[in-house]
Amino acid sequence: MRTIDDFTRPLEYISPMDGLLGSIFRDWVEKEVMPYRRQFDEDYRDHRLIHPPFKKLLGEYGLQRMIFPEDLGGWGMGRSNYMCTAAFRMFEEIARADTGMALAFGALFWPFLFIALEPHENRRLLEEFAPMFCETTEPVFAALCMTEPQGGSDIENIEIVKGSTIRTTAVLDGDEWVINGHKLWPSNTGGLARLMAVVCTTNPGSDDPRDIAVIYVTSDTPGVTQGPPYEKAGMAADMNSDVWFENVRVPSWYRACGPGDDAKYFGEIMSTGNMGIIAWISGAMMNIYERLTEFVNRKKYRGLPLKENDAVAGVLADFAANIEAIRIVGYQCARMCDRHDLYGPLWDPGLVAKMRAQRYLAMDRFIEVTGRVMNLMECFGTDRDWDVEKHWRDLKILQLVEGSKQLCQIETARWFYECRTL
Amino acid sequence: MNDLELFPYPKNRLQKTDLDLAASLQDLVQKEIVDKRLELKEDYRGLLEPNLNKLLVEVGLQRMFWPEKLGGEEHNGPEAAYTVAAALEQVGRADTGLAYLAAHNLALQASLAMRENLNQEACGRFAPLFCDGRGPVIVSFVLPVFGEDEKAPAWRGKSFQVRARAASGSWVLNGKGVRPTCSGADAHLFGAWCAVEGEEQPAFILVPGDAPGLSRGPEFKKTGLAASRNADLDLSGVEVPAENCLFRGDLEYRRLLSWFYLGVSAAAVGGLLAAYQILKEWGDNRVIKGTGNVFKENPLTGALMGEIAQDISMSRLLAYDLAGMLADPTTFGDAGSDMVYTAALMIVHHVLATAERALHRTMELMASAGYAKEWQLERYWRDLKTVQCYVGSHELAKHDFARWFYGARTL
Ligand SMILES: Cc1cc2nc3c(=O)[nH]c(=O)nc-3n(C[C@H](O)[C@H](O)[C@H](O)COP(=O)(O)OP(=O)(O)OC[C@H]3O[C@@H](n4cnc5c(N)ncnc54)[C@H](O)[C@@H]3O)c2cc1C
Repeated sequence: MRTIDDFTRPLEYISPMDGLLGSIFRDWVEKEVMPYRRQFDEDYRDHRLIHPPFKKLLGEYGLQRMIFPEDLGGWGMGRSNYMCTAAFRMFEEIARADTGMALAFGALFWPFLFIALEPHENRRLLEEFAPMFCETTEPVFAALCMTEPQGGSDIENIEIVKGSTIRTTAVLDGDEWVINGHKLWPSNTGGLARLMAVVCTTNPGSDDPRDIAVIYVTSDTPGVTQGPPYEKAGMAADMNSDVWFENVRVPSWYRACGPGDDAKYFGEIMSTGNMGIIAWISGAMMNIYERLTEFVNRKKYRGLPLKENDAVAGVLADFAANIEAIRIVGYQCARMCDRHDLYGPLWDPGLVAKMRAQRYLAMDRFIEVTGRVMNLMECFGTDRDWDVEKHWRDLKILQLVEGSKQLCQIETARWFYECRTL
Repeated sequence: MNDLELFPYPKNRLQKTDLDLAASLQDLVQKEIVDKRLELKEDYRGLLEPNLNKLLVEVGLQRMFWPEKLGGEEHNGPEAAYTVAAALEQVGRADTGLAYLAAHNLALQASLAMRENLNQEACGRFAPLFCDGRGPVIVSFVLPVFGEDEKAPAWRGKSFQVRARAASGSWVLNGKGVRPTCSGADAHLFGAWCAVEGEEQPAFILVPGDAPGLSRGPEFKKTGLAASRNADLDLSGVEVPAENCLFRGDLEYRRLLSWFYLGVSAAAVGGLLAAYQILKEWGDNRVIKGTGNVFKENPLTGALMGEIAQDISMSRLLAYDLAGMLADPTTFGDAGSDMVYTAALMIVHHVLATAERALHRTMELMASAGYAKEWQLERYWRDLKTVQCYVGSHELAKHDFARWFYGARTL
């Protein structure tokens, strides 16, 4: 019988850890997530069911340590040139069960990209934060606080808007930053985050990227408040809330990379983030394929399994063809993110644009073919028990995080056609 | 101008009573549903059930077609199609699920009490239930689905869910794990298209929700349509009087579905109008690309908004065109004729596919606000997708279109 493992994986460049990681994650998913995931939607506020699998994965298996250098108790992934290819496999496996978990897992590492990747490792900050993640078996979450009430895209749109709309301020007062502002939506908030990387401006209204500052704040610092979790259409395992910073004081060396570099390395979150989204899409589609296969075998039409109808087979083929394409493209993106020697640095606007292009295309394909599959399954397509609708609901947001669809289009056009005003 | 009238609204084809009904429904649903849902969300007991009562009983949608002498309003000429469209569009704007339930109720009324085909006996039996003012009558259908037993009797390839046997003066019905089109947990009346033992011709039989032998499973979770608490049913030797069989023929079955598809199309248009209003409210002052650039003035997002408005307009025109076909059988033929039924099926699928696309785009434009329950948009996205799935597979419906247009015979 065919399985999800029959879809092509680019064997010539997958990470050497791929097989091991794959089996660890698959086993964890089967035992710790699959049996409970249909109840996650109602668990969005408390994470009573969502927390235990995270505890196992992040704390007990120690995945939350993975980006830190080995001498600080981590696994040294930040220095590996298989980081993204390995992450692709992990993301795929988690997203097969639950994309919200995959997003929360991926977002945990976003704050560390500024300080854990070469050539801009910030050793002092890594030493400062490594114990929080590496010396415990409890899950510890981190969040990247970027979006503000007036809009997220503009802050991500660094090339054109250049941070001029950021309202969260960071003022240097002696050897401390004083942070004030209001953020919306960071993944892993709602009370979960222990550490946050906050995107601030040191000069409100300025369009000089050197005034964009990424500053770390631990959630127990006086003046930090995380609101209650939002209720969303899906993605319950990713907790999001408002976060307020009121005269929050942190040491001056808590700034990630420094003037100009904070803005520059923000691109790394965009390239790896968009690559990650493709992995989540691929993982979710694998699971839809599994459930759909069961459906079209079990359900009958004109006395035969549904899959034996030519018109139905057309829909099934489109779905499989899209998985094949999305997975291969996704792995290729991961490899491009890993091989700086061949494809340029992670923050390179060309690489970011290419990641955005592939990701929005993959997402559009997902929306189209999954919508058709749900409809093909008729009333069962909307049943929680058939799981397809969950992926459909969960993934919709992946058109919006890490750059909305339109921002992706604009950045793609801007790079490929050298547009100057978009 | 009322902003709902920005979209093509064929007022010239509607009677004054339809326009008045639409206007009063617009006020009612605004006050009773739209203004309260931030607080009550999708609460069935707190918001949806009381409003179903208001719409069906107090406004009287469930009395619309029945003869006056039986307590109805006898608005039962074909022109009632416009009334259905105008009313359900308004209800759908507030809650697509409520409109979907009302579409069931109105389709059943239309199939029994339409002036030209009035079924005296059935009206006599069932009109009192709808007209006694005691509460809403939730109507649900049991239609053929993809079954799991390849030998099960089938209708156009899909398995009948209920088998009926004629006994003396009654029908005995059996079915396991039966999936109704809505409200399995609450419906008062199930209209089941049943396979009849030993006979070719199926039968459409009404089963009261409290019939002995009918049991309901637990409400199951689904994507949307909170107003329809659905559950699977078991029918174990359920016995109903012979007169509960409303019809046996394809013509009547299609007539019922044509009217149902009209209601569903109008409900979907209502959902689209709601999405328009939400996006407009959100987008009027949203700024992107730095200060001073209002989102609707951006060429890319503005074009998408234009496309959404186009989708809404076309869907509305199509829904009213379907109403026009049903309202004029002299020109277009019986609602159950191949041609009208095919048109109804095409229109409902087209409107629902368009609604899906437009809702996806509206969600994209509103970004995180679209995904947050607080902004109320995402419920329409979930509801409309759920309705689309319950109406059936578009892929297989295309075979119906091909049968009619190209004379395909084996599809
Ligand atoms: C589940 C989830 C997880 C999230 N996680 C995080 C997180 O970890 N950290 C964080 O900071 N934020 C997070 N966000 C927020 C997310 O990053 C923002 O939603 C996103 O940046 C879009 O911002 P916005 O919602 O404010 O919409 P806006 O930026 O206001 O965009 C509105 C619309 O305008 C369009 N638009 C914007 N700019 C342009 C342009 N230049 N040209 C054309 N069209 C444009 C957009 O495509 C969109 O359609 C998360 C959101 C969700 C739902």
